Amino acid sequence: MTDDSIALSGNQSIIQLENVSVKYRVPQEQIGTFKEYFIRVLERKVKHRSFNALNQVSLKINRGEVFGLIGHNGAGKSTLLKLVARVIRPTIGRVIVKGHVAPLLEVGAGFHPELTGRENIYLNGAMLGFSREEMQEKFPRIVEFSELGDFIDAPLRTYSTGMSARLGFAVATDSQPDILIVDEILSVGDEAFQHKSYERIQAIKAQGATILLVSHSMNMIESICQRAAWLHRGQILSMDNAKVVVDRYLGRVSDEENRQLIEESHRGDYQINKEYKPIEIRQVRILNNQSQEQQIFHTGEGMLVQIEYVAHEAIDSLEVGIAIHRQDGVHISGPNTAFDGLDIKMQPGVGGVNYIIPSIPLMEGLYQITVALVNREGNKMLDYHDHFYTFRVNNRGHNVNECYGLMTLNGEWQLL
Amino acid sequence: MKSQPGLSVVYDSTRRGSVVLEELREIFNYRYLILQLVRRDILTRYKRSFLGVAWTMLNPLGMMLVWTIAFSQFFRSDNLPSYPSFVLNGLLAWTFFSQTTTAAMVNLVWGGGLLNRIYIPRVSFAIAAMGTGLVNIGLSMVPLIGVMLVTGLSLHWSLFFVPISILILAAFALGVGLLISTLAVYFPDVAEMYQIVLTAWMFLTPVMYPETILPDAYRLYITMLNPMYHMVKLFRIPIYYGRLPTLIELLVPLIISLFVLTIGWWVFTKKSDEFAYRI
Repeated sequence: MTDDSIALSGNQSIIQLENVSVKYRVPQEQIGTFKEYFIRVLERKVKHRSFNALNQVSLKINRGEVFGLIGHNGAGKSTLLKLVARVIRPTIGRVIVKGHVAPLLEVGAGFHPELTGRENIYLNGAMLGFSREEMQEKFPRIVEFSELGDFIDAPLRTYSTGMSARLGFAVATDSQPDILIVDEILSVGDEAFQHKSYERIQAIKAQGATILLVSHSMNMIESICQRAAWLHRGQILSMDNAKVVVDRYLGRVSDEENRQLIEESHRGDYQINKEYKPIEIRQVRILNNQSQEQQIFHTGEGMLVQIEYVAHEAIDSLEVGIAIHRQDGVHISGPNTAFDGLDIKMQPGVGGVNYIIPSIPLMEGLYQITVALVNREGNKMLDYHDHFYTFRVNNRGHNVNECYGLMTLNGEWQLL
Repeated sequence: MKSQPGLSVVYDSTRRGSVVLEELREIFNYRYLILQLVRRDILTRYKRSFLGVAWTMLNPLGMMLVWTIAFSQFFRSDNLPSYPSFVLNGLLAWTFFSQTTTAAMVNLVWGGGLLNRIYIPRVSFAIAAMGTGLVNIGLSMVPLIGVMLVTGLSLHWSLFFVPISILILAAFALGVGLLISTLAVYFPDVAEMYQIVLTAWMFLTPVMYPETILPDAYRLYITMLNPMYHMVKLFRIPIYYGRLPTLIELLVPLIISLFVLTIGWWVFTKKSDEFAYRI
């Protein structure tokens, strides 16, 4: 068999892409009806714009390697996975894959909501190319791993997302594949299941399988993968040791994100409002120690929130407050000028306050600032920018060792 | 993509035989999937109804009742004993055809997202649609025979020929199903249009009327140029008419259906590499 001779020739690469391009042909305009189509064919006017999802990509992945793919959405990661899973064929170039590929489906893909868990296991297994005998043999193990218990005979529509995710994962990873494709699947389910599936992936890896992993979690790429490739607009920008690639990627991304966040934060800048307000927030800026506008900070860095407002009438007792929320809605802090005993009397005109944070105690994450102006007499809200101003805490490249929880308490350890 | 140990499977995108034949081999490897898909279609279709799969038999009976009440006075003739049996017989063949072709198309267009995620042979959906149709028509034979007996028709040994009629009809339906599936991938409007075409086609096919009522001027066109005329007839001969078909009555539909199936298979598989880009 020629097939076997290739497999056994001692060549260690298990996935090989040689100069692969994938070109999608997209009609320039949507032609929905025959009549239109035929008219255009006759006029030779069917124009196609071609779009390179992958452009001359070459890469070799060795047997037993865990390989990560990173990049923005639309960079070509999924296209690359599809080539390996032989869902699509390259327009140009050559793809060689040696061995049995097990793709991890997105949650629920291939499942039918009206069928029971049991029926879905067999259906899903058949889609992955297994025979009846193989499925009968796998069935008890799949049920055990997915921890569905009595739910196994209930229709899938009664399952939680986590339960279907467990089931899908259990079916796909039950037998030892040569190549496992993991596309962001580990982000679903509860922590216990994530842990369990992580362990199973480690076990599959220990058995010598090759794993191709797409994830937006750089921690995961760094901790699981040996090598990684960074795809950008269909090309490999960088391919190296996973940590090196992740560093390069994050370096670029934080520059871009910083620019973008600053842009966004100015959408609240003073505009002439139709609705009359006695006082309005004119501008809010998030500054660093050097009074420069900045959106990405690290734990321990100083921050200054500068709030400017313009009053159209005299206000005897103004209170300025901010609220800081983490992106998931956790309210972290809510300082205001009244708590600090600051009494502000405004005459018509421009004024402002600074809120100075000497050292940000927050751990990595995305945070949002709300700014409010309140009249203390009557406790009346005068102006309000809800979750308007965003900053990120990112400790990469800074000497911060703590990384668990919401924040650091700046505590100290002492040996007794 | 069998789960054999070791690296016995090598996939090389440049090395590839004929797509048309390769798909045939793949569908054989994936025969268990076809079984599962048919099972899914049948189980889920009636899952929430009280009578369940019994509807497969009740449905054509209901349709027969409607047609009989509406038309039996029109087509009353001595050549047409037991109009209900006549209608039901034709209706089963027609329903099989329309359901199979529609399901092949709908499964591909709506369920085709799966083709984007994992490899499965692309013809799976169409073949499963045909399989579901075969189960349904098989079950429907029960009410058909019941109606024949109740309305005083006798059964003949020619009934044993029915499986061959069904297979020829099935091959034709699969061929048409593959062709319109391919079209529907490129032109979403085809799915809607096809329902209108089917209705018109049914009225142009002697399903609920005997071909003898057609005016001579149109008769030739409607009978000879309409493949479904031959298919319905081949299905009716061994049941309703209780005789074996003549050689011509057998060969004409057989050749048509093999021809259409070959074309359908060829067009579908040739284009199927593009499907993942479009669905």
